[in-house]
Amino acid sequence: MTSVHPPPVPGRELSNPPTDGISNLRFSNHSDNLLVSSWDKTVRLYDASANVLRGEFMHGGPVLDCCFHDDSSGFSASADNKVRRIMFSHGKEEILGRHDAPVRCIEYSYAAGQVITGSWDKTLKCWDPRGASGQERTLVGTYPQPERVYSLSLVGNRLVVATAGRHVNVYDLRNMSQPEQRRESSLKYQTRCVRCYPNGTGYALSSVEGRVAMEFFDLSEASQAKKYGTFATGGCDGFVNVWDGNNKKRLYQYSKYPTSVAALSFSRDGRLLAVASSYTFEEGDKAHEPDAIFVRSVNEIEVKPKPKYMGSE
Amino acid sequence: MSTQRIDPLVQVETTCRALLNELQIIWEEVGETYADRDEMLLELERECVEVYRRKVDQANHSKAHIRQTIADSEAELAAICSAMGERPVHIRQSDQNIGSLKEELRKILSQVEEMKKRKEERRNHFIDVLDQIEMIRNEINGSTESVSSETVVDETETDLSLMRLEELHRQLHELLKEKSNRLKQVQDHLNTLNSLCSVMGMDFKLTATEVHPSLGDSEGSRSISNNTLEQLGTEINKLREVKIQRMERLQDLATTMLELWNLMDTPIEEQQKFQNVTCNVAASEHEITEPNTLSDDFINYVEEEVSRLEDLKSSKMKEIILKKRAELKEISTKTHLIPDTQLEDAIEAIDSGVVDAATILEQIELQIAKVKEEAFSRKEILEKVEKWLAACEEESWLEEYNRDENRYNAGRGTHLTLKRAEKARSLVNKLPGRVEALTSKIMAWEEERGSEFLYDGTPVLSMLEDYANLREEKEQERRRLRDQKRLQGQLIAEQEVLYGAKQSPPKPQSAKKGSKQCTGVPSTKKVALGGPMLQAHKLDSVNSLRISQTRSNKKTEFMLQNDAIPASPAFNRGQDIADAPFRKHPSNGVNTNEIESQLKTIPTNDPSNNTMTPLKTISSVDEENRKPKAMHSTASVQMQTDITPPPTLQTSLVEETHEEMEQSFEEKRLALMHSDKQIPSMIQV
Repeated sequence: MTSVHPPPVPGRELSNPPTDGISNLRFSNHSDNLLVSSWDKTVRLYDASANVLRGEFMHGGPVLDCCFHDDSSGFSASADNKVRRIMFSHGKEEILGRHDAPVRCIEYSYAAGQVITGSWDKTLKCWDPRGASGQERTLVGTYPQPERVYSLSLVGNRLVVATAGRHVNVYDLRNMSQPEQRRESSLKYQTRCVRCYPNGTGYALSSVEGRVAMEFFDLSEASQAKKYGTFATGGCDGFVNVWDGNNKKRLYQYSKYPTSVAALSFSRDGRLLAVASSYTFEEGDKAHEPDAIFVRSVNEIEVKPKPKYMGSE
Repeated sequence: MSTQRIDPLVQVETTCRALLNELQIIWEEVGETYADRDEMLLELERECVEVYRRKVDQANHSKAHIRQTIADSEAELAAICSAMGERPVHIRQSDQNIGSLKEELRKILSQVEEMKKRKEERRNHFIDVLDQIEMIRNEINGSTESVSSETVVDETETDLSLMRLEELHRQLHELLKEKSNRLKQVQDHLNTLNSLCSVMGMDFKLTATEVHPSLGDSEGSRSISNNTLEQLGTEINKLREVKIQRMERLQDLATTMLELWNLMDTPIEEQQKFQNVTCNVAASEHEITEPNTLSDDFINYVEEEVSRLEDLKSSKMKEIILKKRAELKEISTKTHLIPDTQLEDAIEAIDSGVVDAATILEQIELQIAKVKEEAFSRKEILEKVEKWLAACEEESWLEEYNRDENRYNAGRGTHLTLKRAEKARSLVNKLPGRVEALTSKIMAWEEERGSEFLYDGTPVLSMLEDYANLREEKEQERRRLRDQKRLQGQLIAEQEVLYGAKQSPPKPQSAKKGSKQCTGVPSTKKVALGGPMLQAHKLDSVNSLRISQTRSNKKTEFMLQNDAIPASPAFNRGQDIADAPFRKHPSNGVNTNEIESQLKTIPTNDPSNNTMTPLKTISSVDEENRKPKAMHSTASVQMQTDITPPPTLQTSLVEETHEEMEQSFEEKRLALMHSDKQIPSMIQV
């Protein structure tokens, strides 16, 4: 799509970025704080609009995912198999629990009040952070998965888990005894990422081939008015594209980032988009651009099709 | 004075008397005798008479002279008159005239004078005329020498008559006419020359002057000599020839131009520019009169235009050739023929000028026609070949699909894939018949055409043959496995008899892509390797779900057991046990042990020897793989369950390797990090 804007700027680069690859980054739901997990074994907290590093938390191994609880604390998933809670204000972290293999993804469900983690040990675990620390108290449940968990996403009471082997399990958080749906990715290649639509009707699935599939929870709904909305995808080609799922068209493409886009996050009001430009080792070990985080403003024109959905997180 | 009136004679007489008187006196004085006096007087008288006589003679003489003169003059006059062709006018007029001689003389002299004058005049006329004649003759002859007019005149001294003069005038007149004719001729010639020069862009003055210097000058008199006229004539002819030559050249160019315009559909505006050329394409020499239409410059200009048009034509032809080549390629590709390289080379050579564009165009056209014809004849068979290829694809998709564990899961599009599988199955069933039909059709075609039926360069018959062979191999493999399964079924039966319990069947058999690779390899090897792997799988509770699912999705050829394994549902339901691993797992450990030991001793898959060696062997496996931790629980369970023969052992290896190979980027990165850490430590050691 051609842009009507003047030569695009990749955004403001955050200072003091992580010193190794960025695995994920998230905006807070309450402010412009940005939480960044990295292979340099740290989780960093930034004030994105002020471009200030507010905190840095060391881990025992590369941190593969992170998420906010509120503006005073967050959680992290690390390759040293441990799940941690991070207290921003106190400047420290504590272990919430552990898996048998690196913990790949972590989410906090406001609906259930639980932390949900997926690991390469082929299990999903739910934790209650309110309990005192110590694994025995906090672990709510362990749910085996067909394969190593690669990605998970929450919306409302629904949880979508994507694993190796292209399996997809959909759970109702109120009844985790078994998946509500067991599905298979309709894409031919390894699942890279899964994200639920904010309106809760379905989820988007992406694969390492570079495709995105739009799925609905309820198939009957799928045939009705399609409400895909707009969403942004970042790829190893260094581009961030904004799509109109409804019309299956690309709305906008931001200028190329120095290297692979490892993670994306929209701010709570959709004004800002944080882009992690960090080589994701898709081509093995090779020389790459330094890891950087860019925060850019989002223009309505870039993301707005006829229906107005501002990106899905 | 009154004395003056006295007559001079009287005076003289007086004087004589006085003198006589005086003489008398003197004599007197002297005293002369009268005789002497008389003598003297006589002498005197005689002398006087002499004097008188002398005077009279003189007078006579003069008279005679006058008469002579008159006669002479008369003669002269006559001569003149005769010369002038006139009658003497007044001869003997003196007879009639009472005038004195002197008068006569006077008259005649004046007449003579007059005649002389007239003669002179006439002579002048003659001279004049003769001069003119001579001049003109000279001009005509081209000679500059002039015959002296005096001699001419001398020659005509005898005839100064008017007649002759008129004759001369006539001559002169004719000569003048001749001269004027010639002048006219010259002017005509010069006009012609001028016109020729202007048409051909040559310098007229120069050319004219070359013929004769006087011709270049429009003011002065021009040469009218024979030589000049001749030369003018020659020059004009020469130029005319040149004109014709140029005209023919121009007409050739114009014709070529018209042809090229016609060939290339040149727009009217362009053609208009050369209107003046093409309008003369069929003109004859005298019709071309406009200045500079045949000048060197103009002809060069036209030549350039023609050459430009020819270049345009050849480039257009090249374009056409390239287009045709593309067309040829397209047709060839559509009908899966490989295009001819010879023609390609020829086309490349166009620029070098070695090969003629027109010939190549012809050749291409021929080639296109040929390929079209061939395409037509291939059409039917080609369709069948493509259908066959599509069917082969569906066949392989079906194979893959059948290996897929999840294929019966409710998911988006499952019903579509089910339908596709149905269709694919029926297609596959029809395949052998189709292949045979196709083969015979191709053979017939080949015999008729006398050449092989090629598809993108490969003979289709050999493709079909390969396919048939492959199928045959697969079929054999299937049969073998079926046999094996049957035997193992027997084994189970025996074991049941021995141990009296049934085992549930979960075996990690997603033979995802294993089939083809398996068939060629001796089963023992694979099995041996697969054993431990198998075990690890089975022990792993987390794997169980997948295992069971894949088990249920196996293709018949890989099933050593019957298909009555309610794997999926059973295991799915088993998920709600949070911590406890799979209870149904069981005997997997036992099984593998058995198998392992069996296979170590017996090189076949025949599970005839069943031994139970529980825990020991199981524990040996735990280095394998990613998730060894669940083993303990499985082990505890295993005693409760029965043995079930392992399913396709061969495939397990392959599946295993497949799963090992699927890794996310993060897993690879982590592995790399760990290996990086280890290396330094190794080096230290």
